[in-house]
Amino acid sequence: MISLAGRDILHAWGKFIFTGFGLGLLIGVTLVMAGVYRGMVDDGKALLDNSGADLWVVQRDTLGPYAESSSLHDDLYRSILAMPRVARAANVTYLTMQVRQGGQDVRAMVVGIVPSGEVCAPGWPPHLVAGRQITRGHYEAVADVATGFATGDRIRIRRNEYTVVGLTRRMVSSSGDPMVFIPLRDAQEAQFLKDNDAILQGRRRTEANPAFNRPGVPGLLEAAIDSQSSNAYVNAILVRLEPGASPSQVAETIRRWKRLTVYTRAQMEEILVGKLIATSARQIGMFLAILAVVSAAIVAFIIYTLTMDKIREIAVLKLIGTRNRTIAAMIMQQALALGVIGFAVGKITATFAGPFFPKYVLLLPRDAVSGLLAVLAICALASLVAIRMALRVDPAEAIGG
Amino acid sequence: MGTRGIRIEGLRKRYGSGDTAVDALRRVDMHVEPGEVVGLIGPSGSGKSTLLKCLGAVIDPTAGRMTLGDEATYDDGWKVRDLRALRRDRIGFVFQAPYLIPFLDVTDNVALPPMLAGAPNAEARARALELLAALDVRHRARAMPSQLSGGEQQRVAIARGLVNRPPVILADEPTAPLDSERAMAVVRILNDMARRFETAIIVVTHDEKIIPTFRRIYHIRDGVTHEEAGEGRAFE
Amino acid sequence: MKMFPLQRRTLAVLAAVVPLVALLAYVALRSGPMAPVAVTEAAVESRSIRPALFGIGTVEARYTYRIGPTFAGRLKRLDVHVGDAVKAGQVLGEMDPVDLDERIRAQDAALRRAEAAIREASARHSHAELQAKRYERMLAVHATSEETLATKRQEFQVADAALAVAREEQARARADRDALAAQRGNLRLVAPVDGLVTLRDADPGTTIVAGQAVVEVIDPRSLWIDARFDQGSASGLAASLPAQIVLRSRDGELLQGRVSRVEPRADAVTEETRVKVVFDGAPSPLPPLGELAEVTVGLPALPAAPIVPNAAVHGQRGQVGVWKVEGDEPSFVPVKLGRADLDGRVQVMHGLRAGDRIVVHSERVLAPGTRVKVVDRIPGTPR
Repeated sequence: MISLAGRDILHAWGKFIFTGFGLGLLIGVTLVMAGVYRGMVDDGKALLDNSGADLWVVQRDTLGPYAESSSLHDDLYRSILAMPRVARAANVTYLTMQVRQGGQDVRAMVVGIVPSGEVCAPGWPPHLVAGRQITRGHYEAVADVATGFATGDRIRIRRNEYTVVGLTRRMVSSSGDPMVFIPLRDAQEAQFLKDNDAILQGRRRTEANPAFNRPGVPGLLEAAIDSQSSNAYVNAILVRLEPGASPSQVAETIRRWKRLTVYTRAQMEEILVGKLIATSARQIGMFLAILAVVSAAIVAFIIYTLTMDKIREIAVLKLIGTRNRTIAAMIMQQALALGVIGFAVGKITATFAGPFFPKYVLLLPRDAVSGLLAVLAICALASLVAIRMALRVDPAEAIGG
Repeated sequence: MGTRGIRIEGLRKRYGSGDTAVDALRRVDMHVEPGEVVGLIGPSGSGKSTLLKCLGAVIDPTAGRMTLGDEATYDDGWKVRDLRALRRDRIGFVFQAPYLIPFLDVTDNVALPPMLAGAPNAEARARALELLAALDVRHRARAMPSQLSGGEQQRVAIARGLVNRPPVILADEPTAPLDSERAMAVVRILNDMARRFETAIIVVTHDEKIIPTFRRIYHIRDGVTHEEAGEGRAFE
Repeated sequence: MKMFPLQRRTLAVLAAVVPLVALLAYVALRSGPMAPVAVTEAAVESRSIRPALFGIGTVEARYTYRIGPTFAGRLKRLDVHVGDAVKAGQVLGEMDPVDLDERIRAQDAALRRAEAAIREASARHSHAELQAKRYERMLAVHATSEETLATKRQEFQVADAALAVAREEQARARADRDALAAQRGNLRLVAPVDGLVTLRDADPGTTIVAGQAVVEVIDPRSLWIDARFDQGSASGLAASLPAQIVLRSRDGELLQGRVSRVEPRADAVTEETRVKVVFDGAPSPLPPLGELAEVTVGLPALPAAPIVPNAAVHGQRGQVGVWKVEGDEPSFVPVKLGRADLDGRVQVMHGLRAGDRIVVHSERVLAPGTRVKVVDRIPGTPR
């Protein structure tokens, strides 16, 4: 027996390829959509991986530093460092802001890292794709390539200019903004220091306050102004434990004795993936469902149309004794073939289009396989309508009248 | 096979039931011997199509007897279980339009019925080529149906009807789209084939050009058949 | 047996399907987790590095003279303005004496009154002395009683004491007057050194409390930089090390200087070491006080040792090390690091030898068993 489906496809291969291409673009969008979700989850995980921390110590009763704002005194890390089983503890600040370079600005998450003499302290970028790590305690920056900066560029964060000395890759915030690492002191200034106008007005306000500007007490005003422009805060303390230490035990100790909120890696992931992107994930889930329905409808329609075009041939086939099974198989094979072409086109499109999306698109082979299965299932389901119709064709129709 | 042609006795077909019932066939008695070509003529609405459908086993008659080949197929009910196989193996169809499968080439169009019956592809194609040679379209064996002329298509369709060596061929207006020369050629082929393969052929037609070629003609009027002798001119 | 009619169609179909399949295979193998990780590599070289320390500070004056009156009063005049150069001893301004002159005249009168009182007391004193001596002689001839003599002697002692009182009173009045005269002299605000006026805090007519500065004068030759270095990277900081100074307003202009002293007190809150850096030659024009300056202190060159770029150093399960390239699977080698310089070169004390090839940059974080592909530059990085 020859393959009727194959012969039909070969006969109308142009129509098939083009239809498959159209379907493929739709499937590509679906795959990208799934990739966007995976990318969001991966952004969150990358953020945690890149911080290199086992524990996050944040302001009490906050979900900081990523999901909520948190602020801690910057000398707290010393007491954390003194806790048993803590190997490293480093201050860190996070601030999402516009970073200017030349005439344009880029949305970035500015991370303040401790400019320690030794590299790979918690919070440091774990690997670079170009340039070097920060060596100076001020005015140097390591930026993610997604910012578009190159090594040697001068970038402006608030009032200071920084030289980009190194580039990283996939260092992003949980919302996908690329990171710019700068020394902690500068970052604290960028985060907590007000702009010049605000400082001047604050000074004037203090001067006008008779409590701070008493004629009989020289120096009081200066002291008051100084105390207003201090910025001894950080957003979190990243803690790295000694090998073999139990994160939850150490976290409990810090919680108990330092009265701070501490998150372990698992809890942080729960916050980022479970809380921060939960709505977006549901949104994408909805889109996936809609796209699946649309794809199914399109496949069903295409197969239905292709079958409609062959109603007379099907009647003739039936009249000359073709079994229903053979006819159903022909239609289903065509639907599956369409699905396979569509999937191939979709996968290729998604892979090549992925890098052009502003947010990270992560295409997992696992998703591709389940996508293929889903496409085949949808095609099989969608062909049922056409099969049902084909089976109802009366062979008598072939005999005129 | 094909030794006893067609016998139809007292075939009736009623559509619907109760007050709205319509008797499409009231009494049909026909017999066609193997190797014989008979005409079936009647005005529209006379029950021609219904008869053809009953013969072709695509609708169920209400009562009567039908024998195709050497076996009773209907005796107040179908005597065979697989009507599809019955159509495939014992009836060849030739239509007004050729109704070839557009996505199969000529050989495979003809080879399809034996393939459906389970013959290996090579054997089915060999049989198809043999018939195509007999019908003088062997040279178009690799063409697609859309590349053939009307007469060629009709010949290929006849070849498809004959390929399983059915005892019966039902031809529904096979010459309608053709000019008289080609129509006569088709009729000649049908006669040749009937003789060569011992096949009983019923040709439903109103084509005045070919009516004189039949030796026997069945007229059908209001669901009742009448046999009369034809001129039988063309074929001595 | 009937290949030909299918052939053209088959070719066309193949022309469409083959690229599709090829692309799909490419996509499956060259992207995602199956693709090898692009890395750049470098050879470990043995060389000497010059570590340097980087800090920022502000321009300050070593000597700042804050000049003001010693008592509360009103400013009468102020002759200098910010930016004026002044000489040592120059009168910069004067306080309003208000009633000081009248009080001096009153003291003069009081002094004269005290002198008159002395004269009166001394007249009484000599009379009483005379009387006492006369009565002594009269008693010797029994011309008077002893009792009368005792009375006269007592009168003399009283007059003596009254004279002493009058004298002391005069001394007090003179001292009071001298005090007022001294105050009168201090009303003038005088420059203690040659310098530059940097601050003029009050204008004539303003009432000033004692100790409040009216003008501030600095010695421009004493400008230095109060620099701060992160304690974590301040080892080796010592007096007389050469330093390079970049003023914020003159980016690109490198000024030479040297460490004058490392402050014995560090800043405990900001965890910074404070260092004073002096200019080798006074910068011209003078930078404003309080301007931000970046200071790079060069340390002596270190002996040659294996050097790696700091981008090559990674942490792996609590160990610091580098990825060594051998074949297409790199291996992690723990190392002990030494000093680093500001260009990102780090000494390796042990763990590597010169000539070893190590991974510098990588597209992703490496893990044991990651397949790598050595490239000149990581794809996607801007040139």
